Amino acid sequence: MTELTPDQTARRSPLYRRHQALNAQFEMVGDALLVSRYGNTSMEPRLAISLGLADLSTLPRTGFKGPEAPHWAASQAVQLPEQPNTAVTQADGSLVAKLSHQELLIVSDVEADSSLITRLNQQDLPAQTYSLPRADSHCWLAVTGLLAPEMFSKICGVDLRTHKFAQGQIAQTSVAKINTVIVRHDLGTTPCFYVFSDVASTEFLWDCLLDAMEEHQGVTIGVAAIRSLAAVE
Amino acid sequence: MKLLTCPLNGQRNISEFTYGGEYHPMPDPNSTDSRQWAEHVFFHDNAAGVVTEWWCHTASSFWFLAERNTITDQVIRTFEASEIFNQRIDFAENQQ
Repeated sequence: MTELTPDQTARRSPLYRRHQALNAQFEMVGDALLVSRYGNTSMEPRLAISLGLADLSTLPRTGFKGPEAPHWAASQAVQLPEQPNTAVTQADGSLVAKLSHQELLIVSDVEADSSLITRLNQQDLPAQTYSLPRADSHCWLAVTGLLAPEMFSKICGVDLRTHKFAQGQIAQTSVAKINTVIVRHDLGTTPCFYVFSDVASTEFLWDCLLDAMEEHQGVTIGVAAIRSLAAVE
Repeated sequence: MKLLTCPLNGQRNISEFTYGGEYHPMPDPNSTDSRQWAEHVFFHDNAAGVVTEWWCHTASSFWFLAERNTITDQVIRTFEASEIFNQRIDFAENQQ
């Protein structure tokens, strides 16, 4: 089998040079090229329970904004969170995050099985509903593990400890001085925080997170480790 | 670190916020002369006492209003802009 490399696909993560430097092996997940694992270690799934960092930036995501956006999304069979700054997992595994009364962020499941994003992007939008594409504007990282809240406490002012920051809760805040949207979306029994931030700052944020993770022996993880965490019931 | 409560995101460090100037009700643009309009756009009262100000939670780009005592720097309350801006304003076509 020929080895996959980021230059073989039209779309690649802003972090692909970092991944290559870490000897990443890649795989296709739907249309997205993702890191499968780094180096040759088989320890990633076990280390990710403690503290891991993954790049999911090539997976599909979108957004909609405007006074009528929530009503329109509901009419498209999207299950909406009741309160702003909360997120709800859909039946097909995708995640719908309500960032304000008028703004939705919709992200794929990690297997890219959901067709929700493609379907919504193809619709004609009614008045006062505006498309807010997020695939190219924001990076998408995932921080996994029991030590993630402690690591975040060094670079983020919001208390992300699991008894204070529930599953599905969202914090729009500053992480290492970068504006970010943090969504708690656990993988099986392991805490996981999705981090979305401006795409231009991706490499800086990645380096800051790795630096903050170092004292906790945090590791970079691929989608194989995420898959194995999600499989734990 | 000073703290400010965003009506959407809750209490956050003041470093997450940007000051947006004093709030003044907009005069009717159809019956306002240039001088009054310039004062509305550019001039501030800079009053000592309780004033209403625009603030933005930068991480979410959420603009809201705060009542703050400029003598004691005490924030009395923060509230969503929709409390004041609760109906659409249509500007008449310029007839000139």
